[in-house]
This record gives sequence, C-alpha cells and structure tokens, in this order.
Amino acid sequence: MNLATILLAVGFLLSASVASAGSLSVDLRAGSGNPSAPQMGDNLSFHTVIRNDGNAPIDGLIAWISLVQIDKGKEQPLDLEDWSAHKAVTEASIAPGQTLETDWPIRLIQAGEYRVVVSAVSRHGAGLVASPFADFTVRQKPVVESLRVLPVALGLPLMIGGAILWRRRRLYR
Amino acid sequence: MNATSLIARKEAGELLLSQRGFAWLMALAAALSAFGLLLVSNTELSLLDNAQVVYAMVGIVTALGGLLALVVGVDAVAGERERGSLIPLLLTPVSRDTILAGKLGGVAIAWAVMYALALPYLWAVGSTGQNLWQGMVVLGLLGSPVVLGFGFLGMALGARLTSARAGLLMGLVTLMLSASPLLIGPSLRQSTIGRGFDAVNPFSAAVNAFDAVIIDSQTILGQWSHIAVAAIWLFLTLWLARSGFRRIAR
Repeated sequence: MNLATILLAVGFLLSASVASAGSLSVDLRAGSGNPSAPQMGDNLSFHTVIRNDGNAPIDGLIAWISLVQIDKGKEQPLDLEDWSAHKAVTEASIAPGQTLETDWPIRLIQAGEYRVVVSAVSRHGAGLVASPFADFTVRQKPVVESLRVLPVALGLPLMIGGAILWRRRRLYR
Repeated sequence: MNATSLIARKEAGELLLSQRGFAWLMALAAALSAFGLLLVSNTELSLLDNAQVVYAMVGIVTALGGLLALVVGVDAVAGERERGSLIPLLLTPVSRDTILAGKLGGVAIAWAVMYALALPYLWAVGSTGQNLWQGMVVLGLLGSPVVLGFGFLGMALGARLTSARAGLLMGLVTLMLSASPLLIGPSLRQSTIGRGFDAVNPFSAAVNAFDAVIIDSQTILGQWSHIAVAAIWLFLTLWLARSGFRRIAR
C-alpha cells in the first residue's frame, strides 16, 4: 500500500468521523424477540436509538430504513413497500443529549440474505448518518405446494367430467 | 314450497344439472385448474406472490361469476321470451315480483355453486400464504353483490331489449368495461378519469377491496366504502330488473 493510498484512506476516515461527529448517532439492533432462523412470512423487528450528542438542537430530523439483498448474483436494493408499512420517522427537533427510539417491523417476503440499515439526516446537518448494518437470512418456505394444488386442479375437473358422463348415460338410457 | 323457491330451484336446476350447466362448471374448473397448474411450476414465487395468486384467483372467480350471472340473467327473460315460454309463465296466477324473485334466486344459487367450487382452488394455492380466509370472506362479501348485480342487469337488459342477442351483447360490453381494472392495474387508474371511474365502478370496488384485504392485510370492516359501492350497484340493478320485468307485455 503506497503513501497516497494511506493518506486517502485517512482522509476518508476523517471526513466520515466529521459526518457522524456532526453530533447525530444512530444505533441499530435486532429485536430480542426475533426468531433465530427466520423464514418467509415471519416478522422481524429492529430497534434504533438516534442520539443528539452535540450541544445544539438538531431540527428537521428524518430517519428511514433501507434493505438490500446480498445474495450472490441477486445483489439489489429492495422496495420496502411490501415488507413494511413503517419506512420512515420524522422528528421536529432533538435537544442535546436527547434520544429518539424507534421500532422498525419488517415482514419477510422473500428468501435470501439481507442487510438492513437506518439512515438519518437533519435539515442543516453536514451529511448522512447511517447506522451499523444488521444482517439476517430468510429461509425459503414453499409458496404454492404441488401436493395441494395437483389433487384439486386435476380432481375437480375429473369429478365434473365424470358427472357429465353419468348424466349423459342416464339421459340416453 | 312457495312459488319463489319453486321457480328458483327450477332455474338453478336447469342451469346446473343440464349439460349446459355442467359445461359451465367444467369451464370454470378448467380455468382455475390451468391457473393453479401454471403456478406449481414456478419456483421463484415470493410470499407476496402467494397473496397475489389468491388476489388474482379471487378476481378471476368474480369475473367468471359476473359472466355466468349475466348470461343467465339475459336468458331468464329474453331467452324465455324467444323460446315462447315467458308469456305462459306470466299468465300463471303468481305475481311478477314472485316470478322475478324466483329467477333472481336461480342466479344466486348458481353463484353459490361457483363460489363453493372456487374455495378448494383458493385453499390449494393460498393455504401457505397470508389472508386466505379473509380472501374467501371478502370474495363472498364483495364478489356476491357484484356478480348478482350483473345477473340483475342481464334481466333488466333482457326485459327491455327486443332480442336476447342484443341484451347479451350490451351486457358483455358493460361487463368488459367494468372488469377492466383486473387487466390495467391500479397504477394506470390514477388519472382523474381513472379515479372517477374507480369511484363508481362496482368491479373496481371489489378489486380494490380484494387488494386491500388479501395483499395489504387491511381489515374487512375497513372496506365499508367499497362495500357501499357494491351494495348501491346491487340495489340499482335490482331496481332496473324489477322495473324492466314489470313492463314486459304491457
């Protein structure tokens, strides 16, 4: 690693610490009641604590949750519309030392590996403040089971067809 | 047995126990079976798709039910008139309201059989997903007035128009227009005209309620505005059928 790379990395670190040192911090933890091996259809909850560590109030706070899928070949940000009805929180002002605690419920729609993050900005803040990632894996659950569909999809037409034949035989007898 | 239930049983019996009735049931079962079998082969479905499968199937059942009710409704009046059996029926010592109620009962029984036939399919594709039972209930609650309303509309058209073919044609155009929300989706209905159409269209009311309950997990009681639109449609078409039936052969 050459000197320029090291200097660049230090620069990024400094700028990052300034962005988060703007006095806003976001802590993200998975809910204690979350299932250890969640599958499709389960509900998860995440808890954030947004704190004003500075000396001045922070006005116009907006925090929102983001979800990205990280499966190999399926890397993508997800539209949370179907996963959660609670996608953002706003606060008019947070006084110095004050915290804003929020629960973020999520319904697991699709199997895969995911990372969730909560980001926050304020009206006059220098930049975006993001929480640490929380990772989770959603196990596959059979959606349309052939063992249920096939007997119905094949059986009912056969029954009706049998009734038609029986009816015709009675008519022509 | 009173005259109304006698006529209703005769109408439903002719529809369901005849070759034509069996063919109707077979067509419905074949359509739902084809839909179900297509889904079995899809391994990429997410849990949301499961709810959407139930939503789509509920919409299909409502559309097919509306089609059945419309054809039965037109045939119950205009068809009988063309076959020459309506006037003798009107000459029997039974009030026209009683005859009409019997014919309406026949449509209701036919829809009930269709609804019962659809339940195993809904269970088969939706039992591993969300809001299956709510979907079945909302189909009965919103689908029934929409379907029966098309039956009543068919009777009104059959009574007012000179031929069964003209009544059927007008009814089918109305049904296709009304059922268009099944095809064009909610995003294309966000224009002023689309929203206005949605506000008065009973099929839109039913589809929006299906969407809200099955996919968005909202409560059935929260769909009161959609239920009100469907109820207004039912009573409006009932009034049209009744006034049209009273005019026959005057």
